[in-house]
Amino acid sequence: MDTGFLRVLLDPGRFFEARMQEKPSLKIPALIAVVMGLIGAVSVIPMTDITMAMLPAEMQGLGVLMTIISAAFAFVGGFLAWVIYGFVFYLVSMIFKGQGDLERTMEFTGYGLLPQVFGGIIGTYFSFQLLSGLNIPPMTNPEQMVEFSENLVTILSTDPLAQIAGIVSIFFVIWSANIWVFGMKYARNLSTRDAVLTVGIPVGLYILYRLITLAGWL
Amino acid sequence: MKPIYLAIITLLCAVIAFAAPASAAPADITVVSSSLDPPVLMKGDTGTLTVVLQNNGAVPVAIRNARLYGSGVVPLSDPYPSVGELGAGNSKTFTFTVRADGGEGTFYPTFVLDFRDGAGSLRYPVPVQVEDTPLSASVIEKPDAFSASRTADITVRVGNPRPNAASGVQVVPQGTGFSVTPTGGFIGALAPDASGTVTFNLTPTAETDVTFQVVWRNGINTHTADLVLPVAFGEDKKQADPVITNVEVTPIAGGYRIVGDVMNAGLESARSVLVTPGAPATPIDPFRVYVVGTLDSDDISSFEVTFTTDGTVEEIPVVVEYRDDDGNRYTSTRMVGLGGTMAAPLEEREDGGFPVVGIVIVALVALGIAGAIYYSWKRT
Repeated sequence: MDTGFLRVLLDPGRFFEARMQEKPSLKIPALIAVVMGLIGAVSVIPMTDITMAMLPAEMQGLGVLMTIISAAFAFVGGFLAWVIYGFVFYLVSMIFKGQGDLERTMEFTGYGLLPQVFGGIIGTYFSFQLLSGLNIPPMTNPEQMVEFSENLVTILSTDPLAQIAGIVSIFFVIWSANIWVFGMKYARNLSTRDAVLTVGIPVGLYILYRLITLAGWL
Repeated sequence: MKPIYLAIITLLCAVIAFAAPASAAPADITVVSSSLDPPVLMKGDTGTLTVVLQNNGAVPVAIRNARLYGSGVVPLSDPYPSVGELGAGNSKTFTFTVRADGGEGTFYPTFVLDFRDGAGSLRYPVPVQVEDTPLSASVIEKPDAFSASRTADITVRVGNPRPNAASGVQVVPQGTGFSVTPTGGFIGALAPDASGTVTFNLTPTAETDVTFQVVWRNGINTHTADLVLPVAFGEDKKQADPVITNVEVTPIAGGYRIVGDVMNAGLESARSVLVTPGAPATPIDPFRVYVVGTLDSDDISSFEVTFTTDGTVEEIPVVVEYRDDDGNRYTSTRMVGLGGTMAAPLEEREDGGFPVVGIVIVALVALGIAGAIYYSWKRT
């Protein structure tokens, strides 16, 4: 049964093998990146509410501007992740004498971001859960806002819900990595072992960084 | 005269000489001893006066009666109305019950012995000492200050300043608002100028006066003397004094965390030390209460408590609970500021802060992803 690009989630090997028969196309990967960006933009809404609540009435306009900027950065973040992952995989695969153009690598990397969409949805849910219970005390000066922000970082880093959200996102990264292994295998014409190393090294370092952050060692 | 008449007259004289009573001889009757039990009376005491007579003559002496009279020390018993004869070399004891009705001093009730046949009487003043000095009691050991429900050792010394021994000496604490062990202390006999001590474990529940009643017997007479010990609560200079220092308040998810040090600045050990956030703070997991245990003098221990507030509280009390060696509970409170408006706690979740739903989601996601990865490799 052909379920379109969603087949990449469960059968990435066959999916990418089939895609290799066609010309590279970045439409669907770009769409996935857009959805990721949108989810990211939505996920900053609770933080934006907090920021607005912290600001005095005469600075609410600034809050709106900050909201737009934050959403824009979050939206762009989806594309940035796509591009960064793609270039990193392309460069690492060169060590293993990978062959294949960058466009194909970017296409398959984009498909591999699909699990991140689900992860983003769940992460956004956790974000709303986490921040909806926040008490915002009235603040009158910038020093209080800075102190509040520092406290907020401490709170968010120690909340079990935040840590669970982090673990869930790591699971989806692992899922993406699994897809990227198949993607690099075909896009860069690598052996399975080299494809695993191409993806595993950068993704493993990223996951290690996330785990250290979650454990509070940084 | 015929010899027979002379013999009859001689025999008659001899019979008369042996059969006729001797003439009264009061000078041969002497009081050889007198004694009083107890040796020294107190006012109102009843004692037993004993007088011993002896006939030092060669012939019996007829005695009509014996009696005792006097003022200050009065006889309670009846006189001896008919005594009879006291044989040569014999002695006789007369006993009278007397009572000291007068004041203190030495009294001389008179022992009177009337002889028969108009031979006169014997008067003998018997010295009786009356001294009203009671036993003295004093507290020789007590704590610097009393505290409610805290057991204190009270040592009472009882001394005997009287010239005679006291018997059956005991000390009985009396009053309300305290419990005491033992309920009475027995010392026994106290010789003149001797003393005895009794130690009580006194646990006051309220400020009160504790009366240590000293009970003793002087002969058959029971006497008491009271020693009042006021029990007023105060601060024990040696008691444990937990002090909280080095406090750091950190906002956490759903509340705050306070870490700090608790030090015993007192001279006695603080046992079973607990540190808890007090109202209006509501303790939350993981450190609703921090058990420090025993803090000896000058010991220090770190603690950590977690709690939540309603968001309007600017400071909360940190309560240190501890016990002394007797198990009495004490509390010490230190107010800790939360940093005014700077804290940003999250509201505590309905499930008590444990994200059960989150754990379930993690488990489901992990299973799903593991299945997807397994499936993808199986299809290869």
